[in-house]
Amino acid sequence: MTLAAAGGSFDPQGPAARSMAELWWLMLVLGIAVFAFFAVLLAGGLLRRRRADADADAESMSGRRFTRWVVGGGVVMPVVVLVVVFAATVEAMRDVPARVPDGALVVDIVGHQWWWEVRYPGEGVTTANVLHLPVGRPVALQLTSADVIHSFWVPALGGKLDLLPDGTNTLVLQADQAGEHRSNCAEFCGLQHAEMGLLVVAEAPDRFAAWIAGQREPAAEPVAATARRGQELFAGAGCASCHTVQGTRATGAGGPDLTHVASRPSIGAGVVPNTTADLAAWVEDPHTVKEGVGMPASKLSAEDLDAVVAYLETLR
Amino acid sequence: MTPSPGPPPDAGSETPLVDEPMTHQELDELFADPPGLWGQLTGVQNDKIGARLLFTGFFFLLLGGSFDSVLMRLQLSFPQSDLVSPQLYNELFTNHGTVTMFLVILPIFEGFAILLLPLLLGTRELPFPRLGAFAYWTLLFGGLLYYSSALFQLVPDAGWFAYTPLSGPDFSPDLAMDFWVLGLGVAEVGAIAAALEIIIGVLKMRAPGMTLSRMPLFAWAVLVMAFMILFAFTPLIIGSLLLELDRGFGTQFFDPEQGGSSLLWQHLFWIFGHPEVYIQSIPAAGVVSMVIPAFTRRRIVGYTWLVAATVAIGFLSFGLWAHHMFTVGLAPIILSFFAAASMAVAIPTGVQVFAWLATIWSGRPVWRTPFFFVVGFLVIFVIGGITGVMVAAPPFDMQAHDSQFVVAHLHYVLIGGVAFPIFAGVYYWFPKFSGKLLDERLGRWNFWLLFIGVNVAFFPMHIVGLLGMPRRVYTYDPGQGWDIYNQISTVGVLAFIVPGIAVFVWNLVRSLRRGEPAGPNPWGADTLEWAVPSPPPEHGWSVLPIVRSRHPVWDQDDLHAGDERLERFVRGLAGWPLRWRAAVIVGTADARPQEVFRVADPSIWPLVAGGGLLLIFLGELTKLRWGIAIGALALLGAAIAWNWPVEAPMTEEEEDAFEQEHGVPVNAGGSVVVAAWGMGLGVLFLGIAFASLLLAYFYLRLENPAWPPPGLAEPGVTRALAAAALVVASGSAARFGLRRLASGDRPGLVLGLVGALGAGGTAIAVQVADLVHLDIGWTTHAYGSIFSTLSGFVVLVTGGALIMTAMVLYWSLRGLYTARRHAALSNVATFWTATQVIWVVGFATLYLGPALT
Repeated sequence: MTLAAAGGSFDPQGPAARSMAELWWLMLVLGIAVFAFFAVLLAGGLLRRRRADADADAESMSGRRFTRWVVGGGVVMPVVVLVVVFAATVEAMRDVPARVPDGALVVDIVGHQWWWEVRYPGEGVTTANVLHLPVGRPVALQLTSADVIHSFWVPALGGKLDLLPDGTNTLVLQADQAGEHRSNCAEFCGLQHAEMGLLVVAEAPDRFAAWIAGQREPAAEPVAATARRGQELFAGAGCASCHTVQGTRATGAGGPDLTHVASRPSIGAGVVPNTTADLAAWVEDPHTVKEGVGMPASKLSAEDLDAVVAYLETLR
Repeated sequence: MTPSPGPPPDAGSETPLVDEPMTHQELDELFADPPGLWGQLTGVQNDKIGARLLFTGFFFLLLGGSFDSVLMRLQLSFPQSDLVSPQLYNELFTNHGTVTMFLVILPIFEGFAILLLPLLLGTRELPFPRLGAFAYWTLLFGGLLYYSSALFQLVPDAGWFAYTPLSGPDFSPDLAMDFWVLGLGVAEVGAIAAALEIIIGVLKMRAPGMTLSRMPLFAWAVLVMAFMILFAFTPLIIGSLLLELDRGFGTQFFDPEQGGSSLLWQHLFWIFGHPEVYIQSIPAAGVVSMVIPAFTRRRIVGYTWLVAATVAIGFLSFGLWAHHMFTVGLAPIILSFFAAASMAVAIPTGVQVFAWLATIWSGRPVWRTPFFFVVGFLVIFVIGGITGVMVAAPPFDMQAHDSQFVVAHLHYVLIGGVAFPIFAGVYYWFPKFSGKLLDERLGRWNFWLLFIGVNVAFFPMHIVGLLGMPRRVYTYDPGQGWDIYNQISTVGVLAFIVPGIAVFVWNLVRSLRRGEPAGPNPWGADTLEWAVPSPPPEHGWSVLPIVRSRHPVWDQDDLHAGDERLERFVRGLAGWPLRWRAAVIVGTADARPQEVFRVADPSIWPLVAGGGLLLIFLGELTKLRWGIAIGALALLGAAIAWNWPVEAPMTEEEEDAFEQEHGVPVNAGGSVVVAAWGMGLGVLFLGIAFASLLLAYFYLRLENPAWPPPGLAEPGVTRALAAAALVVASGSAARFGLRRLASGDRPGLVLGLVGALGAGGTAIAVQVADLVHLDIGWTTHAYGSIFSTLSGFVVLVTGGALIMTAMVLYWSLRGLYTARRHAALSNVATFWTATQVIWVVGFATLYLGPALT
């Protein structure tokens, strides 16, 4: 299929998405068949030749012909198709696990306006806007929200599930192949709903383990003088009241954990790549990059800004 | 292969003419509204109200629905485009959904119904002309209030679905969402008012002989639509009330931190929101069922099946709201239930489609513009129906939900399934009301541009949705393979749909000025409206038709011939009386005349009442709460003045004489039957509102393990028991008074009414004292919020009962009621019965609810 090459839910890469895709192809085939049946009847009714002398009453419908149309076409056919579709639906629902399977990796995902907090409680790792998964192992995502309703969706891996402020929803996924998937919030959540991106990285178990090990490390102590000054500014300029950097005095909550911010591919939940220039622009005034975010503009001089950015770039 | 346009059907040559007796002119003047501006403000004529609703619906569409879709498509043509800011984009899609779902399709179909029904059913007016006027004013005021948000740069931006907590006070702190809640609130009241008018009109005001099984399918469709409006919009009004209480008064219904629930809103909203889709598509299917027979020259196949399908869809649509919530984390068993219910809708829909196909197959197509639109409807609607079954399957919906796939699906259903029949209906009925035909060549352009445009614009969205593009995003990243699909969609809108709409508007304007004259029956159609002249006289029918067939214009040589007694009756009514607006009530099923009554005259009070309602909502919006009090007083005063008894133009003896001659009772003072139906539906409305509040109560009760929350004691029942006993007593007293009147005992009547007033007033005092004593507080926890709100609702209903009782007591003392003329009293007694039930059930829930486990 050419569409499969395009990705998304046409190109399933896990058991949940695969059974959804199978259901879709079945329904598509049935749908095309129903439409073709209807279209032939409609075209026939509109275009067929009629005898010029045909009498009105002879052509009006009654008895068995009527039954064939309205009962056959309007009741029997839909019932047959629906029974097949419903059976396939129930079958596919079984492939969407309702319970957490044994040996699953548990990941907590908390939606915020407009970024993703990602925590690996068993591993003691907290990150943001990037979700690493080991290939071949079920992952139980415990979804919840810190503010409004969001929705988690990686089309290639499975369906979506909402993040509610009251209660936790569990979504079980499994990636069968390594690969990166772009994901975006799928429930309208306010101004920057469109820019609430999450990068999902499915990788081989050993690479995943290595990534976890790296993330578990506390932040490296900066060496260069600028970066050291940046660390002090970070603690003093108010950054630390919202951000945590493990192993330092910065233990704020509310904003993303920045312990390994420099290892992330993008900033602002995928809005710009994580380059020095973009990072500087973000720290100076994130609203020029992503209007409306919760972080205020910093009132730093150019020199101080460089120092803070230099410090952040040490957080690998 | 393109079928050549058939010759215009033999224009009206077989149409039986209606009688135009000497009284024609006088009747026309009697039913006309006063001239000039005053007439515009006081007018109640159904033609005027219907046309206004239609026009206002189109106006709101052009004002918002179309302009914003063009901007959105331009913005999405290229990734990372910054043509439109995120804020503006969110406002655009919120407005687009809100306007089309609340302010466009609904008034258009209510307008069609109010405009057409009297002609279609063979009656002179609808039962409550003033209620129709009120429905129009509230729609207009509500729409303008909503739109006025733009003047203050406070355009609502939380989506047409306004999910909490995003739409709540914490995340939408400015007044934008208040404009949404309150503006639509006014319009929703109007929608329900029009629905009551339509229900009673269809069931009680038809031509003699038009039994339910001879009723045109469009009338069936709007009847089902109107019932659905009543059952769907009422929970929405309650939901909106709770949301506004959260926003304006600090209650905690939707705040999870304080015992509220984020999902309660979704349930209340979708209990409205899903039926709303069918509220729009059922009358559209009704139009199709009218147009197909006219343009295939055949009777509709499977009439009874089509009626059954319409009713079945109406019922089913209330059992599948949760399919909009498949991704909120419902249990699998609930998913399966709602999936099965959603798929089941395909069966009655299949019956409809195949009945239409069978009619086309058995007939001879006449290719005129209305028929083109109906064929286009069939093609697009079937595609929308097929994707509808797909999204009813939860595993697939978890992929499709909130993606562009759903945008594609819903536009196939709403443009193909609803807008196309609206166009068909406009091309079909425009000649009836303007006397001019719309241009056929422009009609073809109109059709093909829209048909191609809809498919070009919306088909690609299926694909891009499954590729992963969510909906309601103001932009997207390049490199995901989405660009090309978005560009095709934009071309569909700009190159086809926009010109298509422009051609339509041009056709209307041009044909109004120099369209071909239509004659009474340009299409050779079968239903009653085609027998009267185009445009029709104000009163529609001088001599009422006597219906003996489902297709009277095709089957009856003489529309006024029939049973001898009926003939004498309709001819008698045509010549008499000419001093007041007489209309006929018929038996619901058998359509035998039951009553001749006087239809209300033009009046300024519907406008004042609409203004009062607007003031209430405006007072809340501006937080000038005294405005609410003034508005409430204006509304109350207008309601009393509106219903003020008018002196009957006939004495009881004259009424008796007429009844003896024609066998049909006359109620010149006002209808007994219609008033009782009005009260019945009014009570039903209150019952649904009350049930919605109970649903909210039990939902919150189940969500909260601690009920009442820690620190609050369970309420003691002693005072509440006393108050409930008093309410039961006051209802009994009111009914006692009514029974005394029947036996001619007027002092007994007065005694009963005074007793009802005293006991009811005391009950409210006792209950309010207990609420003050309990001191629950509505702002700290959802428990207190629902306790206070439900109590307030019950007390308000009882207050209404007391005001009505005071009014009828006043009129009783003035000797207005006789053993025969006392419809208002019976209605107040009915209202008291409802009040007793609401009070007892309401307070039993509140006081005993905490004890339930």
